[in-house]
Amino acid sequence: MTKLLKLTDVNLNYNTDNNLINVLQDVSFEVDYKETISVVGESGSGKTSLIMLIGGLEKASSGKIEFKDFEISSLKEDEISQIRRKDIGIVFQSFYLIPNYTAIENVSLALEINKIKDPINKAKEILDKFGLGKRLNNLPSQLSGGEQQRVAIARSIVMKPELILADEPTGNLDSENSELISNILFDYVKEENASLIMVTHDNKLANLSKRIIKIKDGKIE
Amino acid sequence: MVKLNKNQNFGLYFKYALRDLTRSYNKISSIIITLFISLFILSSIMTIEDSLENELNENAKLLLGGDIEIDYNNKEGDQTKIDKITKFATVSQMVEFSTMISTVNKKINKTSFTRVKSVDQFYPLYGKALYEPNDALEKLNQIESSILVNENIFKNLNLKINDIVKVQDKEFKVIGIVKVLPDIGGAFVFGDFALTGKKTLDKLDLNTLGSFLNYEYKVKFNKSVNSKEGIKRVESLFKDQNRVRLRYPENSAGGIRRIVDNFSQFLSLVSISAMLIAGIGIANTLLSFINQKNSSIAVQKAIGVFSGNIKTIYYLQLAILLVLITVFSYGLSFFLIPIVDKYISDGLGLNIEASFSIINLIIVFLVGMLVMIIFSIPTVNSIDQVKASNLFRNVFQSLQFNYSVKSVIISIVLLLILISLFAFRSSMPYYSVAYFVSFFICLLIFYYLSVTIIHLLKKYKNSKISVKIAVKNITQSKSITPITIMSLGLGMTLLLTLAFVGSNFKREISKSIPEIAPDYFFLGIQNDQREKFEKIIFNSDNKSKLEVVPMVSAGLVKINGIDPNSYIKNTNDSYWVIMNDRRISWSDEIPKDNPLTQGKWWDLSSPDKLQISLDSKVAQDFGVKIGDIFTLNIYGREIDGEVVNFRLVDYRDLSINFAMLLNPQFANKIPHEYLSTVKFNNIEKFDDINFLDEFPSVSIVKISDYLKKVTDVLNKVFIAVIIISTVTVIIGLVVISSAIIVQGKIKTFQNLVFKILGFSKKEIIYSSLIEFIITFFSIILFSTIFSIISSKFIIENIFQLKWLFEFDIFLNVTITVGLVTMILIVFTNLKYLSPKVYPLVRNE
Repeated sequence: MTKLLKLTDVNLNYNTDNNLINVLQDVSFEVDYKETISVVGESGSGKTSLIMLIGGLEKASSGKIEFKDFEISSLKEDEISQIRRKDIGIVFQSFYLIPNYTAIENVSLALEINKIKDPINKAKEILDKFGLGKRLNNLPSQLSGGEQQRVAIARSIVMKPELILADEPTGNLDSENSELISNILFDYVKEENASLIMVTHDNKLANLSKRIIKIKDGKIE
Repeated sequence: MVKLNKNQNFGLYFKYALRDLTRSYNKISSIIITLFISLFILSSIMTIEDSLENELNENAKLLLGGDIEIDYNNKEGDQTKIDKITKFATVSQMVEFSTMISTVNKKINKTSFTRVKSVDQFYPLYGKALYEPNDALEKLNQIESSILVNENIFKNLNLKINDIVKVQDKEFKVIGIVKVLPDIGGAFVFGDFALTGKKTLDKLDLNTLGSFLNYEYKVKFNKSVNSKEGIKRVESLFKDQNRVRLRYPENSAGGIRRIVDNFSQFLSLVSISAMLIAGIGIANTLLSFINQKNSSIAVQKAIGVFSGNIKTIYYLQLAILLVLITVFSYGLSFFLIPIVDKYISDGLGLNIEASFSIINLIIVFLVGMLVMIIFSIPTVNSIDQVKASNLFRNVFQSLQFNYSVKSVIISIVLLLILISLFAFRSSMPYYSVAYFVSFFICLLIFYYLSVTIIHLLKKYKNSKISVKIAVKNITQSKSITPITIMSLGLGMTLLLTLAFVGSNFKREISKSIPEIAPDYFFLGIQNDQREKFEKIIFNSDNKSKLEVVPMVSAGLVKINGIDPNSYIKNTNDSYWVIMNDRRISWSDEIPKDNPLTQGKWWDLSSPDKLQISLDSKVAQDFGVKIGDIFTLNIYGREIDGEVVNFRLVDYRDLSINFAMLLNPQFANKIPHEYLSTVKFNNIEKFDDINFLDEFPSVSIVKISDYLKKVTDVLNKVFIAVIIISTVTVIIGLVVISSAIIVQGKIKTFQNLVFKILGFSKKEIIYSSLIEFIITFFSIILFSTIFSIISSKFIIENIFQLKWLFEFDIFLNVTITVGLVTMILIVFTNLKYLSPKVYPLVRNE
């Protein structure tokens, strides 16, 4: 497949109390290898849902999602998990670190699940690179917001995935940390020739991407 | 502004408590369930016990068979005295004896060792006997040589009405079936029984020791005679008669009362164990409940509500719950009465009715309240940790149990009150206290076991991801491992202990004892029959093992010149030795299984002096020393004898054992008969019918029949005991399940992260299973150790039987509980396996 990612007429609906909510409607677009895309839109427009679908964390109501040679939309959950382990890294606004695992344990988890040898040293390496060399054995509750997000990013890229999905990665951070995080993400994409799809409200951040996709009321404008 | 007074204030808190409870009772459903189960069991035990007690009390005279009973033992009553009593009362003579009943003219004739009651026309003085046909009892004294047999004999001997049977060698006509007798107070009727008329006594040879003859006179005072006055008059007639026992209605059904007492005592301890295990769950669930209300509590504090008042609201919620659950569980216990009544009336002929007791209701409430308070104090005190300032930082610390010195002291005091409540109501307070002490020691050990496991696992390194996650789950700060180990550990220990005790007991009764015990006991072999008897036995089976010993009946009337009844209480373990006349014997040699513990065997230089060899346990219980003088009444003559040695007597093998043995040089002169045991090489060769033709007055007791009866009863008892004890395991499982649900949010979040990282459901389940295996094996190890120690103690020291480790029982119990626990954990965890990502992410 020449494209890294391809969405064709993807719909996502939710049923709540006999009401049908159309979150995404007939969404179609493609992502090249090594491409960076910012997804922008108002709150509730469907941006986060789009990330969830691409990452295989939600199932589309209809339509096709193809990632590399896989049609994610038709795979079983465990098969999608296999893809997510190695090829897709996800970064959230709220970091989603495991509260009872230290920084190094949170990162090494991603390596251990893939049965990579020497996970601790590899985790240490990447955390050192992100300036967290002295915070390896701290729990998330003992780290600042910026530090937590760096750990979360380290976890999401330690397996060198080809696609990074970031949902408001700087949403909970101050400007200094926001810049730091965006640098980390874009540096990774450049160094590893990966692709990035980032949801953001930050115009400055959005403009760093090669392409901007606007979503309104679940549709791509 | 007008302020509320204290009562109005309290009313306000009550309103808040009620409102809070009605809106969030489902979050504390596990508290409701576990508390209900425990209180229901306690209520049921108390309701049934009360109903039974009422039945026994209201029908005491019926159970005794009279207003008073005069027991002459094996002597016929003094007719002069009896005639004096008939002036102010009706006297009914009942003579009980044991004998053989056998069929005649059947294809295969059978025998039955039977306890026969010979009754007169006044029987029964109280209550009604149930029999078929309707006029059978009346005909008993009209038709000569007639007999009513119980349903078991009727069935086992394949009888029909009007069939002829032999009682000893005399023919009797079976004129009916007796189903229930009202006066079961004398003894718990275990074997088969029959009724005959008064004239039967003249026909039969009952002067052998094998007859176990007993003369009883039941007395019913005339209407004009006040009960107290009547009893005084009877007592005055027998005040110098040591050999005559008077029994009163309050003493009736002593055997049944003791059994009911012991059983309900045991079940009460099981219910309190269940409640204490439930208490662990209550503390945990309550903490989670309060944690969920963290922000609400912070808001309350921010607007000025005192910590103490907030705690009052939570305590009120618990109190409301407790009242409702107490009333419901106590009320529900009444529905068990008709079910229990069916079993009791079938077995004992008693009928129980439900009776409400405000005291029982209060006790149930009190017990529930004590457990609730003990386990909720550190939890509700955690409210002190919540700060209103948390609202501004939007950071809420997870609350922990709050132990202050004051709260620990209060908890200990309340615990002591709880233990005292059980101990003082119990007939064996020391056992109750010992049980509680053991329970808490086990609880502490299991707690420290969980701490140790967590400590050791923190240092454990393993590369496999599922093992790592399992270890992490066990060692994390909010781990459910301590709760799981404590609650399941206690339940398993209790269940395994009872299973080991039951299986060992049953094995001894049904297997080990029969292997070493004789096949038959023969009682009442006369002097002139001995040779013929031995010949017949060896002719039947020349490889049989025969033991024949002489036997007389003697009463121990004095110890060192003092009547032992004046200082030895009926609660003494060896009281049975002085209760009635005992069978005693003599032997040239020391019996093989009765080694001497003190003193020397017979002094052969004094053949004219009576020397006595005594059971060492009896000696210990009576405080007897070597050289003490026993006065024995043998055939009405009092003879002094010196205690010259003590023997260790082992009764469990059912071979011939006597508490007292005499020196043969003296005893051989006493008129005596013989007792024999036989173990056949091939039991089929023995023809009991032909044997009875030769020896009609000899009683034959087939050991296997009685062991089978004992085993049948034991099976039912132990099944009931195990089922009821399983409640503690069920409570433990509910506690674990609720602990998992309490962890729900953490588990959901963790599983969300795992899902994002690409963990499969299989890997998550696998790590849960590893977590379960590590925890469960630790529980099994320690609960097995505890149960081995306690069951060995019970079997060897209380029952004085042999203890063996029963691997199949161990395997059955652990596998069953393990599987159920594992399924429950997997099932409860299932809903956290597939977290819905979108709503979780949106609701951050």
